[in-house]
Amino acid sequence: MTGTVDIAVLGAGPAGMAAAAEAARRGARVVLFDESAAPGGQVYRAPPPGFAMPADADRREGDALRAALAASGAVLRMGHRVWGVGGGPLVPQGMAAAPFRIDALAPDGSNATLEARALLLATGTHERIIAFPGWTLPGVLGLAAATILLKAQGVLPGRRVVVAGAGPLLFAVAYKLIKAGAAVAAVVDLATAGEWARALPALAARPDLLLRGAGWRAALLARRVPVLAGHRVVSAAGDAVLRAVRVAPLDGGAAREIACDALCIGHGLVPGTEATRAFRAAHRYEAAAGGWVPVLDADRRTSIPLLYAAGDGSGLRGAAAAPASGRLAALAALRDLGALTPAAHGAARVAPAAAFARAARAGAAMAAMMALRPALVATIPPETIICRCEGVTRAEIEAAVADGAADMNQVKQFSRAGMGPCQGRLCGETAAELVAARVGGRERAGFATGRLPLRPVAMDALLGAFDYADIPVPNPAPI
Amino acid sequence: MLGMDAIAGADMLGDVAHDLRIAGIARPAPVSFTFEGTALTAPAGESLAAALLAAGIRRLGEGADPARPRTALCMMGVCQQCLVRVDGRLAQACLRPVSAGMVVTAA
Repeated sequence: MTGTVDIAVLGAGPAGMAAAAEAARRGARVVLFDESAAPGGQVYRAPPPGFAMPADADRREGDALRAALAASGAVLRMGHRVWGVGGGPLVPQGMAAAPFRIDALAPDGSNATLEARALLLATGTHERIIAFPGWTLPGVLGLAAATILLKAQGVLPGRRVVVAGAGPLLFAVAYKLIKAGAAVAAVVDLATAGEWARALPALAARPDLLLRGAGWRAALLARRVPVLAGHRVVSAAGDAVLRAVRVAPLDGGAAREIACDALCIGHGLVPGTEATRAFRAAHRYEAAAGGWVPVLDADRRTSIPLLYAAGDGSGLRGAAAAPASGRLAALAALRDLGALTPAAHGAARVAPAAAFARAARAGAAMAAMMALRPALVATIPPETIICRCEGVTRAEIEAAVADGAADMNQVKQFSRAGMGPCQGRLCGETAAELVAARVGGRERAGFATGRLPLRPVAMDALLGAFDYADIPVPNPAPI
Repeated sequence: MLGMDAIAGADMLGDVAHDLRIAGIARPAPVSFTFEGTALTAPAGESLAAALLAAGIRRLGEGADPARPRTALCMMGVCQQCLVRVDGRLAQACLRPVSAGMVVTAA
């Protein structure tokens, strides 16, 4: 596609698929980017071609969104890793506003560039895993990772699995493991029964979710799987690979050891805000929405003109709310681009706004169950690795603060935590909480400035056919 | 390099490794590839990280600390812990589908 398109959408999960379809079916020229081979995102991830997985509720939801997207006329750029965003309001003051520019690594290794008048971010989340001794052992993996293995690949993480962490994903993963033929040695839930009971009223409008959750619990009960409420994983042990985990009640008390060959652990989801941070959009810290989120109006406009954010990547409200937020963002973009009159926009936004409000209540209750627990971070022993890429321990991060590092950018410079290839996505939450405890809160600790590339990209892919031999070298002057 | 051939061989999950693939799912025909010289097979299109896990291989390369090898953690392209080389080029194993003849080495 050449020329400037109307709207570029980053991320083909439920929010991005719905946003792209909404804008394209109303006549806008839309290009949708995603790193995966097929649209779906994490929750509606499609299995690879030729894999026949049993259909479940998630599959049907995902297939409906994929069908609407395919019929909409939106151009799909799947298998594209977007590493660069720019243009738009980033042009120096006094210069005319330029369109947004998106740079992506295409599946064939070439660089694909696109210009768009508006940019809609639906970048989703990644998992928060609070570090603990032994978390680097082979056999330890994320809860969301387990769902991908089970749903999209049809592979078990192990034969005897401990499932640990926080939120509804715990019970979903434990249930899927049992159905797939694995043994679940225990479910280790940070939340107490009382915390779950307090979350239930918000789910009253979603009997389908309540029923599904009750079904998961019943299956665990029937298999006599121990569900340890109000417990945490103290450590994982093994020589070369995982052999056992130690678990203990959060409020103190004796630890016990559980033998296993895999530990699936996750402490909630974190919105992926790298793009809004790169644009220096306004952000605020909201623990119950997953952490730092862009400041948005009711129509998903960020503080940057013609830049929009939707779905869990802009604050956790769940997969059911994501398509409605995507549609709201798409409609706002169409209005701001002059493709919808204010009156037409006002009429069109009523249905998605109501759908979002309805779904967001249950989503917010589940997001609150997954919110970061500072008490868990406080239990990490000093010698525990926090930043896996650079091998930085808790003690080294705290030493950086003691040496004068006052926020996350300075901690990164002092200690190298967050400087490796994952760009702080894995250690950022733990490190920020450690810093926050010493500098007076997450607002003060801030976040690492968004930098390009948004994802690692090989230099030779960007250089193309250029070679050192191509550099013209002048003949040396005669002596 | 800390003997990566040792890493490739030493971490077999043993007898259970080969039934980590969930039964009852129709998959494409298996194709052959190698990891650190060991011949392996997996259904075409399966993610390389899943294929290595199913083959009992969970240690994928050196970490920042040689005593702490890297292993697939997030399965969604975020953590960069599953970096390997496919035909000599860096690739995230969780994002790369298995194809016939791939030569995979530890990164």
